[in-house]
Amino acid sequence: MPPSLTSFIRRADRDDLDTIVGWVEDPDFARFLYGDPARSPRQVREQIVSMLGRTAGHTMPGGIYLMIDSKEHGPIGLLSLQHISWRNRCCSVDFYIGKKELRNGIVAGMAAYRTLEYCFDELNLHRVQAYIYAFNRASWRLLEMTGAVRELTLREHVSRDGKLYDVYGYGLLRHEFEVFRERVGRMRGVSLQDMVRALEEAAPEGGGAGAESSA
Amino acid sequence: MIQTPHGYIRAAEREDAPALARLYDPEYPRAALLDAKREPIMPTEDEVRELLSRKEVQQGVLYAVEDTAGVVCGFCSVRGVNPEAGFGETSLLFLADATYETPLAEDALGFVLERAFERQRLRKLLANGLDGETALKQFLLGHGFESSGVQRNALYSLGQWHNLEVFTRFAG
Repeated sequence: MPPSLTSFIRRADRDDLDTIVGWVEDPDFARFLYGDPARSPRQVREQIVSMLGRTAGHTMPGGIYLMIDSKEHGPIGLLSLQHISWRNRCCSVDFYIGKKELRNGIVAGMAAYRTLEYCFDELNLHRVQAYIYAFNRASWRLLEMTGAVRELTLREHVSRDGKLYDVYGYGLLRHEFEVFRERVGRMRGVSLQDMVRALEEAAPEGGGAGAESSA
Repeated sequence: MIQTPHGYIRAAEREDAPALARLYDPEYPRAALLDAKREPIMPTEDEVRELLSRKEVQQGVLYAVEDTAGVVCGFCSVRGVNPEAGFGETSLLFLADATYETPLAEDALGFVLERAFERQRLRKLLANGLDGETALKQFLLGHGFESSGVQRNALYSLGQWHNLEVFTRFAG
């Protein structure tokens, strides 16, 4: 079975540190990240450690960091939900595919799908938003395919490689995601419930991967 | 204190707490007063006074706008500066919407533009307005800002969803 259909999301933990640092140190990956590109490797590492430590297992956190994982390929990417407002039922989402060879195509699509499904079905959010650099066409095209609307165009808003680029602000409302899901149909075997079930079946007696799953 | 043709602009002080607290009106949410999650906050006057006592505020992040009689009519600021990309965010808040139609509002905007584009050498300024901030939005559009788009259902307040519009003005 291709990794796109067996991938799942789980809480990021400290064991993921080296994997994430490896991704972030790749210039091709780092180009798409928020933040000052001049940060030192030490600052990047400390930021990731801090980020992993902040990921709450329960309660109502303001930010959630999850790993996109796959049995066949291991950790594939990182999912970040930030500025979660439980009042406005809204959050900003970023997802990064760390493995370059999986960055385009169905794997990224499934990562986006699972991210949105988690936001709407588990966190009961009303709106998901994302800010995407204009040069990251693959990402904003992917989001548009889910029904997300380009709400903002922030001209010359980010500096990369000495040049200024536009940033797009996308918003996806719950009913728009439901229209998208209706259109593509509930893909057999990839719902969040099925992911949890698969994790529980794979976990050893008394916990393991199933207990770790944030879903 | 800076004297403008129609009033005065000065760094906000603790004594401005009653006027600033009035702007945190739950019946009239204002985009510039939402927190990082775009949620409204309802500080007490004491908390506002505490906020105004902070060093960064006293050093000139927030400015009070007075009329010629010395009455505080509103506040303005340039904040959230991103030096790398050369932009910041401005807020122009007046206690009465009618003030946006007066020359005092233009004085405040002129002050903000000078701070942002001359002193801080920024390239562009952003400003936000919620559905209900009609006077602010009309003022921005009439003074060189253009809409960069509308975030739908960005805030839930008063039993309904509110949209948030983002405006941009470039230097020069």
